[in-house]
Amino acid sequence: MVKVAVLFGFGINCDHETAAMFDLVGATAQRIHTNKLVNGEIDLSEFQILAVPGGFSFGDHLGSGRLLGNRLRFGLRDQLQAFVAAGKPIIGICNGFQVLVKTGLLPGPTAGDTQPDFIQRASLTLNDSGRYEDRWVTLEFDQNSPCIWTKGIERMQCPVRHGEGKFIMPESVDLDTLQENNQLTVRYVDPTSETGSGISDDVLPFPISPNGSMRNIAGICDRTGLVFGLMPHPEAIYARWLHPSHTRGDAPVVESDEESVLGDWEGEGLQIFRNAVEYVRNNL
Amino acid sequence: MADNIVRVEVTPRRGEGMRDVRGDSIRRQLVTDYSIEFNEVRSIVGFLISSEVPGQEISSRVDDLFADPIIEISKTGESILADQQYFPDKPEHSITIGFKPGVTDNPGKAALDGLHMVFPEAGMNADISTYITYAFFGGPSDVEGTWLANKLHNSLIERAIVSNSGKDHPSIDYSLLEEVQYSPPSIINLEIPDEELIELSDSGLLALNLEEMTTIRDHYRDPEIRMAREKVSINPDSPTDVELECLAQTWSEHCKHKIFAAKIHHVDDETGEDCIIDSLFKTYIMKPTLQMQEEVDWLLSVFHDNSGVISWDDEWSICMKAETHNSPSALDPFGGAMTGIVGVNRDILGTGLGARPIANTDVFCFGPPDWDGDLPENLFPPARVLRGVHAGVRVGGNESGIPTINGAMVFDDRYIGKPLVYCGTLGIMPRLLPDGRESHIKTPNAEDIVYMVGGKVGADGIHGATFSSLELTENSPSSAVQIGDPITQKKMVDMILEARDSGLITCITDNGAGGLSSSIGEMAEYTGGCKIDLAKVPLKQSGLSAWEILVSESQERMTVAVKPEDCAAFESLADLHEVEATPVAIFTNTGIFHVCYGEDTVAYLPIEFLHYGVPQLQLESRWTKPEIKQFIPPQNANHSEMLLQMLARPNIASKETWVRQYDHEVIAQTVIKPFVGVERDGPGDAGLIAPIHGNPHGIVVSCGIQPRYSDIDAGAMAAAAIDEAVRNAVCAGVDVNLMAGLDNFCWPDSIESEKTPDGKFKLAQLVRANRELERVCRAYRLPCVSGKDSMKNDYGSGEKKISIPPTLLFTVFGDQPDVRYTATSDLKHVGERLYILGDSKEELGASELAFMLNENGQSEGIGGEVPRLNHPEKNLTRYQALSEAIRSGLIRTAHDCSEGGLAVAIAEMCIGGRLGALIDIDGIGSGSIYGRLWGESLGRIIIGVSPHQEEQFFDIMEGHELHLLGLVVENNLSIVDGIDDLIDGEIEEMATVWKEALDMTGGVS
Repeated sequence: MVKVAVLFGFGINCDHETAAMFDLVGATAQRIHTNKLVNGEIDLSEFQILAVPGGFSFGDHLGSGRLLGNRLRFGLRDQLQAFVAAGKPIIGICNGFQVLVKTGLLPGPTAGDTQPDFIQRASLTLNDSGRYEDRWVTLEFDQNSPCIWTKGIERMQCPVRHGEGKFIMPESVDLDTLQENNQLTVRYVDPTSETGSGISDDVLPFPISPNGSMRNIAGICDRTGLVFGLMPHPEAIYARWLHPSHTRGDAPVVESDEESVLGDWEGEGLQIFRNAVEYVRNNL
Repeated sequence: MADNIVRVEVTPRRGEGMRDVRGDSIRRQLVTDYSIEFNEVRSIVGFLISSEVPGQEISSRVDDLFADPIIEISKTGESILADQQYFPDKPEHSITIGFKPGVTDNPGKAALDGLHMVFPEAGMNADISTYITYAFFGGPSDVEGTWLANKLHNSLIERAIVSNSGKDHPSIDYSLLEEVQYSPPSIINLEIPDEELIELSDSGLLALNLEEMTTIRDHYRDPEIRMAREKVSINPDSPTDVELECLAQTWSEHCKHKIFAAKIHHVDDETGEDCIIDSLFKTYIMKPTLQMQEEVDWLLSVFHDNSGVISWDDEWSICMKAETHNSPSALDPFGGAMTGIVGVNRDILGTGLGARPIANTDVFCFGPPDWDGDLPENLFPPARVLRGVHAGVRVGGNESGIPTINGAMVFDDRYIGKPLVYCGTLGIMPRLLPDGRESHIKTPNAEDIVYMVGGKVGADGIHGATFSSLELTENSPSSAVQIGDPITQKKMVDMILEARDSGLITCITDNGAGGLSSSIGEMAEYTGGCKIDLAKVPLKQSGLSAWEILVSESQERMTVAVKPEDCAAFESLADLHEVEATPVAIFTNTGIFHVCYGEDTVAYLPIEFLHYGVPQLQLESRWTKPEIKQFIPPQNANHSEMLLQMLARPNIASKETWVRQYDHEVIAQTVIKPFVGVERDGPGDAGLIAPIHGNPHGIVVSCGIQPRYSDIDAGAMAAAAIDEAVRNAVCAGVDVNLMAGLDNFCWPDSIESEKTPDGKFKLAQLVRANRELERVCRAYRLPCVSGKDSMKNDYGSGEKKISIPPTLLFTVFGDQPDVRYTATSDLKHVGERLYILGDSKEELGASELAFMLNENGQSEGIGGEVPRLNHPEKNLTRYQALSEAIRSGLIRTAHDCSEGGLAVAIAEMCIGGRLGALIDIDGIGSGSIYGRLWGESLGRIIIGVSPHQEEQFFDIMEGHELHLLGLVVENNLSIVDGIDDLIDGEIEEMATVWKEALDMTGGVS
């Protein structure tokens, strides 16, 4: 059985649904208070997947993800290092992505050793609009990305719900490197563009890009493709009845070889979680 | 407090792709609200760190905590604004805003947590206060710094330092709260003349009337009481200040609902009726619900808990509560509204043995956002109230991880005096806990230990309950205002739900109005007594006196009872979650509310007297039909133009830019979102959620509110609110046999007095509203399971008095068996056939159109027939049929027809679908052209049907008033009445007008 640790506490608030996603695709997820890992009551090494869900850890004060990131950097450093070294997948969604970026797990070292060095290389900051917003976006995935979480996914519609989702790396050469490594896994694209040709490096206008992210970056992975973070919420479209167009009959239908517990009501987002569980089954 | 105070300042880097978003938001807001343009506004966030850590060390690790090295630069120990490198040009103005001492500083609290992580040696007494500086460049020369500062801060809770004519830019200093010395309780002599009793009540903000004061006085004359008091060494013949404050809180209008419990002598001049009503609440709300409870098996808990509980399926029950937070929101819109939403979340957490809050609703009533008329002293302009309230609810809801799934904004001049801020929360709990107890039943025992959990007690929020029972004046106290801390509360929610599932909780309630006095006082009723030790209560600042600790409404606190043998487990769970939990009391069966401070007894009140000693009010009510000038619509109207004007009315216009800022989808359950349709910008009627992941079983939540109908008849107002809420729920496919309601009354002062010469009339309005509530709820078989009233919504007195229109918010929550089969308001496809359910009558009184034409000077009055619900039982069967059609998957398009009538409803549906429609209003009811096009007759829903499903639809709807309206076409909306053309409108134009009217964001760049 694939065991998934889903962190909660300190203002994380998407822990219930994130855990439910892994359960729906056949894994066993456990919501675990971060302190239980820090104080040793639970050992992270018992798990094969780690998820840092969305939320407002510490109220986003001092910058989103910063304070929870510090808790992980200073309190869970060795356990996280061992987890990555063991080749186990990690996902951070929304606030979880912010946490992974602020701890330095994403994008991670761009050359040499792939092991985490906990150096922050990028940031996620206030949306250009200055506003927290909940709105649906269209995402396109880099088909050549090493990311194990996004295999086979071309496009997805799902909501963003953040005030600090603008991805920044000050030096464009650093972004070039990530791009060459296919680490810019997922980007905001114009929904009217053709699938496969939507990705653009020029910042797209609001609200296609909801935050003004550099190169329209919505999510990135580390060089191994095992650690993945994104601002949008794939779990919020796990079922088609959550799609804003479902009463119009045009919520995208998922074509999957896998048998889904939701039947043809499965939404586009669930595959991300299934990919990781399958990866663990096949590789660990 | 350590002497070592280190200043750290942080500002965004400049350069490619970098942006000072905080500063820029202020720049845009000044343009939008005041048409004042600066070239640039830059922001600096400051921290004043009082700790054992030397400045050098903080400086060396500043990027680990205070600054994000990728996007920010920082300075430790000096002002960044003075630095030539970062600020080569000096700003014209700099405004620095910090909190007043004692006011909750959430960023400061979070930073302190981070400080302890990075510097374990920081010290127990370490503290951080934060501030923000805005630097203004290139603006008009006539804008003064003090003016800017006034627009940017609220002097009640914040302090501002303003630069001196562009030269000096002084820094803000760390400011300590003044030390307070604990003073022992004083004895209050009540053996004084009546006038002095009243004066005592007024000057002490007790909000008690003479009869109540003398009842208290008489209590202390009782020889038996005196004897009992002597035994515990408390002054026998007069109350302590602790007792008097405790009684004032417990007996406040806010807590005891004295007007709803009053004996009312009601006279109706229209009908000649003359009668006595013994409690509006018992007669019109409680009785019908209790009777319905006998007929169904799903009403689990009504009236006596923090929210009403109904069963939803075999495994889960759901509960809901709505509250108002009007007075605090008038004084501090941000803090007041935030504590409103996090406060009602705690009502859910305090229901049964603890429910999990899973959805919020927000309904606000404001003055017009573009108000440029006079403002009474100490009132904020409506636009500022709107911004503040919205931000408070946004932060409170979003940071708590609870989606805001439904709500409304209503505008009327009279809400300038007092905005209404309704916050509702839906909760869910397993019907059975792992230990086999039913979760909706509290199980306290004498000897249980009572914990205060969550935040500490401070001087903030003293007198909230009594203050909200008084009218707002220029001298209203700032201590009544608090700022919430959603993260402290979130940690507490996580911890308490875990404690519940571990079987550690026997009884729980929230600390809201009245603080510990109310929360422990109410719970003590179960076992018949309690003993509290106030010296154990953790304080934010030392020196608070006993009565202050007892009644303070400091936020984020729950009161939880735990069996003695479970205390260790409970405390270790609190430690894990980093939540404060302190045993402060024990349940007893002595019959006494016994309060000590250490060894000393400071209050000793019989539970019976505390809870049932308040004398029943005797009130006079008299209904005289108000004389209102008739609304006479103009002869030659351009209805097309009128439609565009109507779509831009604040009451009708899209609230999307505001609502998008609420997280409405967290928990991955929201099926119908606040905005629907092709572009996701058409109006959603009700919120629909499927909270159990993987299961399409749903819950509908909807609201109805129509305050302006009170101008003609508050009874009609109440009926309209209920009908609107039900219709909205029906549009989402609610099972009308399994839905419950919440009644939230907000009224102006209704007790006749010098201040309120028209009190009898206002009370008669309340009587009529209650009678209609009973009539309609009985007809709809809709039990009211929880409610609240706020009865003093006035500002000032005499000529300058502003009273709100009597307002009922009605909330419906109910079962939706399968969310895969539901409907939304957007038109779906060309060729869809449109029908309207219900008749369109000549009911234009107090309609949005009447108000608009009246304000434009095109009509003299707004009077006339107000929409009525004459045969609600017929509506119910109609709704049942439609809901069945929706739930069978036949109907995907439905929209309720209310403010602005049919024309507006159809326009909204066109916008949602970005499709046009050909509509003929001939034959849809008895109204004139105006009545059918703009009238707001109740009971109406517009429905779209695919032609191939029409037959099946007719079968289900047979026997109900169904009128064909027309069909969906590609481009324009065209409305005719037989051969007369009335409206021809382009959809994109309508969409633009509708969406832009209330957009106050100033865009995105």
